[in-house]
Amino acid sequence: MIWEVFRQEKEKDYHTHVGNVHAPDAELAKQYAQIMHARRKPANSLWVVPKEKIETVHADDPGTEMGGTTQKQYRWATNYNTDETFAEEIEASQREQEEAERDLAEADN
Amino acid sequence: MDIDTVKRRAGPREFGPGDDMPREYREAATRMIQFHANSEIMGAYIERPFIRQAPSLDRKLAISAQVQDEVGHGQLLYRAAEELGIKTREEMLEELEAGEGKFLNCFHYPLDDWYELPMIMFFVDGAAMRRQATLKRTSWEPYAHAIDKICFEEGFHIKHGEDILRTIATGSKRDRERLQAAFEKWWPRILQFFGPTDDQSTHGEFAMEVGLKTMSNDDLRNAFLNAYVPKAEKYGLELPEYPRVEYHESDDYYEVYEEDLDWEEFFTVAKNEHPTGVGQIEKRERTQAAVEWVREAIESPEQGGVTPATADD
Amino acid sequence: MVATEELSDRERAAVEAELRTLADDEFVVAERYTEWQVRGPTLEADIAIANIAQDELGHARLWYDLLEAFGYDQVDLIWERDPDDFRHATLVELPFEDGDWADCVVRGYLYDTHEHLRLQALEDSAYVPIADRVGKVRGEEHYHREHAQNWLERLAESREGRERVQGAVDRLFPHALTLFERTDHEEAIVDTGVRPEPIADLRAEWRDIVSGFLAGLGVEVPVESAEELLPEARGRNGIHTEVWRSLYDEFTFTYRQLGRSEAPSLMPAPEEADVDV
Repeated sequence: MIWEVFRQEKEKDYHTHVGNVHAPDAELAKQYAQIMHARRKPANSLWVVPKEKIETVHADDPGTEMGGTTQKQYRWATNYNTDETFAEEIEASQREQEEAERDLAEADN
Repeated sequence: MDIDTVKRRAGPREFGPGDDMPREYREAATRMIQFHANSEIMGAYIERPFIRQAPSLDRKLAISAQVQDEVGHGQLLYRAAEELGIKTREEMLEELEAGEGKFLNCFHYPLDDWYELPMIMFFVDGAAMRRQATLKRTSWEPYAHAIDKICFEEGFHIKHGEDILRTIATGSKRDRERLQAAFEKWWPRILQFFGPTDDQSTHGEFAMEVGLKTMSNDDLRNAFLNAYVPKAEKYGLELPEYPRVEYHESDDYYEVYEEDLDWEEFFTVAKNEHPTGVGQIEKRERTQAAVEWVREAIESPEQGGVTPATADD
Repeated sequence: MVATEELSDRERAAVEAELRTLADDEFVVAERYTEWQVRGPTLEADIAIANIAQDELGHARLWYDLLEAFGYDQVDLIWERDPDDFRHATLVELPFEDGDWADCVVRGYLYDTHEHLRLQALEDSAYVPIADRVGKVRGEEHYHREHAQNWLERLAESREGRERVQGAVDRLFPHALTLFERTDHEEAIVDTGVRPEPIADLRAEWRDIVSGFLAGLGVEVPVESAEELLPEARGRNGIHTEVWRSLYDEFTFTYRQLGRSEAPSLMPAPEEADVDV
């Protein structure tokens, strides 16, 4: 069986996909994952998940339109232009969205 | 994606499992990565007897770890190749056992004793590291990703190899003579590590065009010689007269006289037809056949109900 | 117990005897495990057994290091030592038949379970340097035991696997009993507190555990007395099986070929590594 391995570096980090192991069961999969992905750099935690259990949705799947197709600017702080000044956290949120918009624009090119 | 788009977009880590790559690309990438994975396994196989031969506890630990790393690298690489959708890991391993899987020329020759070990552990592994460093920019992202981890782990292999070399090179006169003999034996094979110069290489051109390969054989070999000829000299090793290797200071370039190298043997080796290489493949095939029962036992456990025997009766 | 330099002769002999069996066991079991590298049933299994081999070698290194306090160096303890002087159990020197992965995991299971009990007893050793190192070794041995158990559970699910495991148990069990053979210094080891629990007690506990576990998998364990089962070569008495000599010759071959007289270290010595910077 193939098990996908996810590694959490430190407490509170998200787990990241790092590879897979072939193992007949969860016990051996966990042991192998430790040796293959944490013998030099100890991880805080590892997840092993049977590959066949992973469900995916892909941008190219028919009928899939991630994010939708009609206008959604109402979701973006950048859409709203008023003369007001805003609290710090609102400004920060806007900056983050501006960056995200830039990334999206680059990806589309 | 059509092949022209691939060539146009080709760049470091440009393509991944989410991309619809044309068959030609996927086959070329599979070939390259499979060769690399096979080489890790067959290289490990050549080195493994020296775990037992290590003349100190720490050396034994280090060689065991090196061999272990190489099997691990094989695992990573087969996975990166599998993602191209051409062959499964199982198929690639079967091909290797059956003598169809290709691997590095140097691993078709036996290592006779400890004196020869640094030839593989320092020079050959060093050459491999040189190539791997350039593969960090390969266009198939999963391959590049595997390479990151391989490079991270392999630094110690070459450093340990150099330590072994140094210990012998600073030993007795006999040690140094044996070392020189080992070097002369292996040097031509090491020069052939990067393959023939580009005009003779079959798959090289396409691999370069689609970004899989990022440096020509010629440039790779030159970079290797730049780093390792001085090392050889540092340890008192003399380059033999033939094959001729001339350093051109003006271009900072090592000219290798290709006609001095046995390319016939190289191509026989490449087809897995060289006797010692055949021997290695067959030996490994036997050891793998011997553990086939384990793979079968764990893949499909029989439903023959087990009644746990009670301790008494 | 007093500091090493101040031990009585009897105490010193006891410490040395216990350390030698520990170190020799770990060294030889590791040596055999490395035979599986690049020959394992799967790539992952290969990498795992290599890890276990390196752990065991690391343990051997810790125990041999303690013996250096008695004036020996690695060359005396391994590379130029008389092969008859080794005190490992015969279980660990036995060769593997080609492809006999069942042997590998059965051997591991029997060995690691013994280790578990022995180290537990040594946690309370009156000889502080041993007690200090036990924790490190136990940490890794726990993992080894799990590995062996996982594999045994898995193999026992199929008829072929169970048969092979049974074959390995039949063959290895008598040799595993030699893990609990007494050295000449057993009395001193117990009453000086080097190992407060007599090895015979550990053997009884061990037999209970392994019989229970293996029976649960449908595998039979010999029930005869130790005296009936024990082979003639028992390791701890300096008598080894006929394969030991050739194994010894193999692992000392390059050392002799190179005409060495010392064994280079590549890492700091254990006590230096322990110091927290």
